[in-house]
Amino acid sequence: MAFTLYSLIQTAILCTNAIAVLHEERFLSKIGWGADQGIGGFGDEPGIKAQLLNLIRSVRTVMRVPLIIVNSVCIVLLLLFG
Amino acid sequence: MDYSTQKPKVRMRGTPMDSSEPSLLFDDTSTGGQPSGHGRQDKAPLGYAGQTLLSDPMSNLAMAYGSSLASQGKEMVDKNLDRFIPISKLKYYFAVDTVYVGKKLGLLVFPYMHENWEVSYQQDTPVAPRFDINAPDLYIPAMGFITYILVAGLALGTQNRFSPEILGMQASSALVWLIIEVLATLLSLYLVTVNTDLTTIDLVAFAGYKYVGMIIGVLAGLLFGKMGYYLTLLWCCASIFVFMIRTLRLKILSEAAAEGVLVRGAKNQLRMYLTMAIAAAQPVFMYWLTFHLVR
Repeated sequence: MAFTLYSLIQTAILCTNAIAVLHEERFLSKIGWGADQGIGGFGDEPGIKAQLLNLIRSVRTVMRVPLIIVNSVCIVLLLLFG
Repeated sequence: MDYSTQKPKVRMRGTPMDSSEPSLLFDDTSTGGQPSGHGRQDKAPLGYAGQTLLSDPMSNLAMAYGSSLASQGKEMVDKNLDRFIPISKLKYYFAVDTVYVGKKLGLLVFPYMHENWEVSYQQDTPVAPRFDINAPDLYIPAMGFITYILVAGLALGTQNRFSPEILGMQASSALVWLIIEVLATLLSLYLVTVNTDLTTIDLVAFAGYKYVGMIIGVLAGLLFGKMGYYLTLLWCCASIFVFMIRTLRLKILSEAAAEGVLVRGAKNQLRMYLTMAIAAAQPVFMYWLTFHLVR
């Protein structure tokens, strides 16, 4: 219950890491969530599943490099300050 | 002492030619102070110092350069800050006046008689909250948040559970829940692909309106005990639920469904569920954030 802003940052980093480690061909394609399986029809707007797959793919592409930096900073800070 | 001979000495203190005069002796003792001489003494050195500061070309140049540098720096800070936090857009949300705040607070507690919930536009831009009661603002949520923290401190103080750290904990806790709620709403709006003109700041404003009900509930709990707390909280939860549904229906649902006509189709049904979910989350948060304050 007693949340702090720091725990929110921790949660955000952990969730983004979790999305970033999902492997494209070993896991996502196997369960039908691959990048090419999201595009359903072109006429109507995409459904929820297509939006979700789009979101996962964009998070993995965009956040890869910033996550490396943020994770390294976190590791150094945790080593220094416990 | 001789005032008439003192006056010319004080005024011409700056010029070096006077040092040859024998009456220079008076200068040293004049600072010892007679009242009238003292007054004149105070003004003259300051005037003398100010005059040299302004008349010296080097310091003139330095002052001009310093002020131009300061204005340049201020411009750069403003431009960069505007990129992250849209200051001009924020100003729209704080353009409120007393009549608007009063009417809006009344609407938050009793939304059942209000007829027209549409936001009026003026040439494609929404009208400022001062002129339209349906427009969202950030003044009430900001003030409500701060008042909620103060009332939480008051409630904890009456139960002898108060310490200054608790105020900070309450504040960051409520802020974190607000951020989580806004992020969850943004995520669900993205997943359902709603073409709406709801900005993030609008969502923050709508999420912040529940603090008014929470404050009223906690104050009633302090005055009338647990029964009063539960009754007022129930009333405020119901009114926030109705308020959110009536406001969000116009923004999220399509035009036909907003007018009350039952439109079938998976898309509108999903959007209706989303509106209900957002509105139902408000009472849950209201209870979650206040039940530990009233014992």
